Amino acid sequence: MANFVRVIQPGLSTTVQDLGRPNHQIEGFPESGAMDRFSYKLANLLVNNHRNSASLEFVSTGPTLRFACDSFIALTGGKVNATLNDQPILQNEVVEVAEGSILKIGPVIEGNYGYLAFSNGGVITQPVLDSRSTTLRTKMGGLDGRALETGDTIPIRDSVVMPSLSSRKIVIKSEKVTEIHFVKGPHWEMFSKKTQEQFQSEIYQISEQMDRMGYRLNGPKLEVPKKSLLSEGTVLGNIQITRDGSPIALLADRQTTGGYPVIGTIIRADLNRFVQMKQGQQFKFVLTDIDTAVEKLVQQQKVINDTFEKWYAGRYIEPIGPIRRNAIKISRLIRANK
Amino acid sequence: MMDYSYFQVNEQSLEVEFPEQINVEENKLIQNIARELIEQKAVGVTGVIPAYHTLTVNFDFDLTSFKELVNQIDEIIVNSNELTKTGRSIIELPVFYSPKYGPDLEDVAKFASISVEELIKLHSGTDYFIYMMGFLPGFAYMGSVPEKIAMPRLEVPRKSIAPGSVGIAGAQTGMYPVESPGGWRILGRTPVKLYDPARPQLKYRSGDYIRFVPIDAEEYRRIQQLDAADKYSLKVIKEGDIDNG
Repeated sequence: MANFVRVIQPGLSTTVQDLGRPNHQIEGFPESGAMDRFSYKLANLLVNNHRNSASLEFVSTGPTLRFACDSFIALTGGKVNATLNDQPILQNEVVEVAEGSILKIGPVIEGNYGYLAFSNGGVITQPVLDSRSTTLRTKMGGLDGRALETGDTIPIRDSVVMPSLSSRKIVIKSEKVTEIHFVKGPHWEMFSKKTQEQFQSEIYQISEQMDRMGYRLNGPKLEVPKKSLLSEGTVLGNIQITRDGSPIALLADRQTTGGYPVIGTIIRADLNRFVQMKQGQQFKFVLTDIDTAVEKLVQQQKVINDTFEKWYAGRYIEPIGPIRRNAIKISRLIRANK
Repeated sequence: MMDYSYFQVNEQSLEVEFPEQINVEENKLIQNIARELIEQKAVGVTGVIPAYHTLTVNFDFDLTSFKELVNQIDEIIVNSNELTKTGRSIIELPVFYSPKYGPDLEDVAKFASISVEELIKLHSGTDYFIYMMGFLPGFAYMGSVPEKIAMPRLEVPRKSIAPGSVGIAGAQTGMYPVESPGGWRILGRTPVKLYDPARPQLKYRSGDYIRFVPIDAEEYRRIQQLDAADKYSLKVIKEGDIDNG
């Protein structure tokens, strides 16, 4: 049995992503990694992977894949109507996939980015500078530094083992996002009181210039501080005010340094919701402080951790998932003999 | 003792800020803090970005905290007198200065009211300190270019600059590791591949010095061929290294 999935249709821009290479920003390499870290981590958790196992990230339209081996998969993030061998499958839960199956993900109906995780360690392309994440701009990582193409083979591991299989699901409420919280940026004080207030009272809109590097926002232009700045290191979620007064939120593939003033930084707990906002969607920036931001992120991670602990504690309670290699084969034999 | 302060950028990032200036001593201290955090394998530090006058530190708040890191960095700074005495690495980078590869060579010479030969001598006669990497993988922000030839960047940036191009922007100088749009005044080109996606490890890092060595067309071709066959390595000079450890 060959251990890979074959790309039948690649989707719009499907890339291999993990948690990126933050330790190489010192050399000017973008951090990269999954745009929606919450959904990415959830997908890995569902298939019993390490949190940094590589998955496929798709945007707008997902890929169609044929499995050359057995696997367990999980689909998270943007809402899709995926099918496995033409049968609808659910998101946010583990799905057992037999060799030869065809997974069709199709368009993303809500949100932008979706994640497909494979059990037994995820996508196992060769890591580049400590990460499997693809950075398209520098042609690095993933599959030769590019998005998937028809005919590609994506290396994964054959897998027939999944403890507490039937309980591996989670309900994610979809919610209308109208507020994005931020903390004061390193250059907050450079902006006038009036501009600071304007930034919080205006309605902003995701513009058509949105990609893995950042989202440019439409809205009334802010007054830009006259003083020019020396470049500084960037942080995921920084909101820069460009020379024409419009904000750009810096995301996974951002440049490692930037010279525009940073008015604020989107809090991590809201970043997942932010990257899933579609072009044209409107929202307001709401100021918060670091302690609240930390508390919110801890709460968000707790959802994931508690769920995992529940599964782990329940791994010997019926129904037990296939926990031995032969379990599936045995169950197939039993089914065949019925 | 240099003045500095801390700023927490988000839940898991902080910035150490020094006075806003382009200053080798200040930047060396920043580079040293960055290297110490990496070499000590400081618990919970996921990545650092040294820049001209700032150091960005990303961390995992399950493993460390803003307060903990402030204490650690304070301690590194207190002990930094020892660190800044370590020697310097100078990396020699061959450059073919010619109008063909350096479309702004003649303009910059005119700006400085000197001959092209004198310009080449001036630009290659200084060892440039790498203050930071950014913009692109391996794009080194270096200084300082002799005042006389420090021509400001182009009014309208070029749509495409060839990889290996060496240019100046005011007092800054640097090389483009990959093809990119850009507004720096291009004086020449190095035959050495500065960035290869297949082998992305870089040949220099911030805190190093770069010395441009003028070469001719023949040498350019020779090095280019050697480099393509993976048989060329840059000359590195270690100077005044008093760190015997």
